[in-house]
Amino acid sequence: MPGALPAPDQGCVAAWRGVTVRYPHQPRDAVGPVTLDLAPGEHLLLLGPSGAGKSTLLDTLTGLVPNVIPAALDGGITALGSDPASRTPAGWSRDIARHFQDADQTLCGMRVEDEIAFALENQGLDPGAIQERVAAAMRQVGINAAWRERRTTTLSGGERQLVALAATLAQASRVLLVDEPTSHLAPLAAGRLHHLLMTRAPGRSVLIVDHRLDGLITAIDRVAVLGRDGRIMVEGQPAALFRSHAAELDAAGVWRPLASQIDTALAAMGVAPPRPPANIADVMTHLTALDRTGQTRARQALEPLVAAALPSGPGPEPGARTVAARLCGADCAPFLGPVVLRNVDLTIMRGEILGILGANGAGKSTLGLSLAGLLRLKAGSRDGAAGGVAFQNPESQFVSGSVREEVEAALAAPGSKARPGAVETVLAGWGLGHAASQHPFELSHGQKRRLALATLTAGGRWPLLVLDEPMAGLDAASAASLAARIEALAAEGHAIALITHDMDLALRLCRRSVVVGEGGIMADAATTDVMADPALLARAGLAPPVFKPVLDWFGEAAP
Amino acid sequence: MSTPRSAGPVACFLDQLHPLPKLIVCLIWLVAAIMVFDARFQAITIILAAVALMLFSRFSVWLVLGLMVPFALFGAGFLTTSILFRDGSDFADKMAAEAPFVSEGVSAGIVLFLRAIACGMVSALFTLTTDPGDLVKALMKNWRLSPRIGYALFSALNLVPDLASEAQQIRLARAMKRGRLPRRIPGLAEGFSLMLPLLAFAIRRASRAAIAMEARGLSRDGPRTILGAPVLARRDGVFAALALALLAVALVQVWLFR
Repeated sequence: MPGALPAPDQGCVAAWRGVTVRYPHQPRDAVGPVTLDLAPGEHLLLLGPSGAGKSTLLDTLTGLVPNVIPAALDGGITALGSDPASRTPAGWSRDIARHFQDADQTLCGMRVEDEIAFALENQGLDPGAIQERVAAAMRQVGINAAWRERRTTTLSGGERQLVALAATLAQASRVLLVDEPTSHLAPLAAGRLHHLLMTRAPGRSVLIVDHRLDGLITAIDRVAVLGRDGRIMVEGQPAALFRSHAAELDAAGVWRPLASQIDTALAAMGVAPPRPPANIADVMTHLTALDRTGQTRARQALEPLVAAALPSGPGPEPGARTVAARLCGADCAPFLGPVVLRNVDLTIMRGEILGILGANGAGKSTLGLSLAGLLRLKAGSRDGAAGGVAFQNPESQFVSGSVREEVEAALAAPGSKARPGAVETVLAGWGLGHAASQHPFELSHGQKRRLALATLTAGGRWPLLVLDEPMAGLDAASAASLAARIEALAAEGHAIALITHDMDLALRLCRRSVVVGEGGIMADAATTDVMADPALLARAGLAPPVFKPVLDWFGEAAP
Repeated sequence: MSTPRSAGPVACFLDQLHPLPKLIVCLIWLVAAIMVFDARFQAITIILAAVALMLFSRFSVWLVLGLMVPFALFGAGFLTTSILFRDGSDFADKMAAEAPFVSEGVSAGIVLFLRAIACGMVSALFTLTTDPGDLVKALMKNWRLSPRIGYALFSALNLVPDLASEAQQIRLARAMKRGRLPRRIPGLAEGFSLMLPLLAFAIRRASRAAIAMEARGLSRDGPRTILGAPVLARRDGVFAALALALLAVALVQVWLFR
């Protein structure tokens, strides 16, 4: 333990002092040296680019690293005033609840009610109390009572995330360590979950890692940002930190809330609010209070953001486009499963980016796979070329022993090898050059997703691409780069079906969207029209884009 | 495999039984199938298991017949060995001659063939109508099985459907790369090519489950509540009595008409 570092504050519920972690056979530390505290009752948000070591840092608090996940750990850690080694990782679960980034890491494959009760059974609680807590957690999170007896492995990705969160909340622990809890959730469910996690409970501290910041930031006391080198870049009060370190955060590829991006734009024109805005409501209060001159300058400041929030360019002429794929009267069902969508009529054109929106479990992935021609239709027909799919779980796509081999296989035409240098170009383009020799399963979640997308787009094989929640787990830099690539692919004539829960992303990239729900297609219309229909959005479990109030103001304030 | 609890009481009678009496009955019947070297007894066992799966669970005739295929393939190995290498089947012939219920004239190979199917069907009856979670809870509550071993067993039991689901994902990803739909049932070559990635998945799944259970407080120390463990009911007694009576009748019939 480095002697120069101050001893951890015994009043903190969690403290790291000069902590570094290095996994076996790795040339550099996964994280650190990190010095960080979590105060009693505090809500701390940990941000950082993917692969910075956020999840690893969380795993050290209860001794999962290095006791269960082997690693070399240096530095000092205290959890609730004690050395993590004073208890087994299981022994900490009574006081510290851990929600992993991947719901499958939190869940054990049981029935839904057994999953939620599992930690409480391990604590030896009274059966009646357990049943009450299970019922309450299901109610709070909004889990359908009909799921009680279903195995979690039969649920969709978002539904599993809801169960994992219910299991974490049911523990009612003093400390919650929550890693990307809403990445696969539809907007309404994500908002509800953020509210539940961030509601102040006496004595409860929360350390949360999340990229979905809008709607979360107002309940955060402090933000700490890990840089790409695994060290703390900056920490402080959220709104002030996002204002004072905007350029550094952008350069590091760290997400900022939309309100902070607007604040930066307004500051450049000298019309920023005196206090940094925490959310869009603060921004709107400021904009409407501006005088005429101020509003004109604000319009000028927001013009680039408004342009970036909507599809760029006029888009291809409808008559000039050819059909990439078409479903006619299709009944869509998962592989060997029952029909989930009936009588689907859907056409996607070359050069088009089509949004596929809907609540968790609505059948979006099934529709995407059917559109790509990877699922047999139970009724109806499909025309068009086969499509490539970026699966929600990127691990399903990996078949090679290293990142380099994956890209090589994607680039090579049948019976030949990839062009020299092409692999390096792709790896560098997706920020995976340093991980070329690693096994795909050793990568961080965001890196896995980048690799899956790199292999899918590298060969240019598919005229139709179905991207299933491609931004989940990506940092801001990777997400921006991917959005630009999606637009470029569409400009080259690819048809892109984009399955997403990010309404701002759908509004930005997709001129047209379909809303999936109630066993079929609920709407097929221009995305701007979909987003302007609050009744439809509510029925489908969706919410308007965060940027929409600003867009509306921009339209109303037009000279 | 999950239990369809919403089905009717008769249609899922087997699924609603307490796992332990069902396990004991199945074990007794398996011992009898191994000890009794008689084709008629094996045939009765197969028919009873098949009828029970169709009448008292959710299995169609075709599904039951499909279930028998792997066991029949396994049993065919005994049959062909017995027919083609008669010298090598002395032990089986001797067993046939010494068995108390043996019927003269029935080939040892056929008995071995039927026995493989019979044992397979009894095992299938138990595994396909028993929820792994219920079995583990019953073992922990009634037979004081350690929770760590119990949940390791639970993970192992759940691995089969999880492997099937993962295999589907891998097949879809490969089908995409090939540019054509996956076959409904994988061929032999595809089946072999899936083995390595599925083994890797199984190892990964097991290590993740171990971490998840550790993080959520599963330990060998201290008291642990077992919620929703199966409770013995009258139907369990009815099932055990009926099954053992049928076994006795089958044995007596074979003995009388040997």
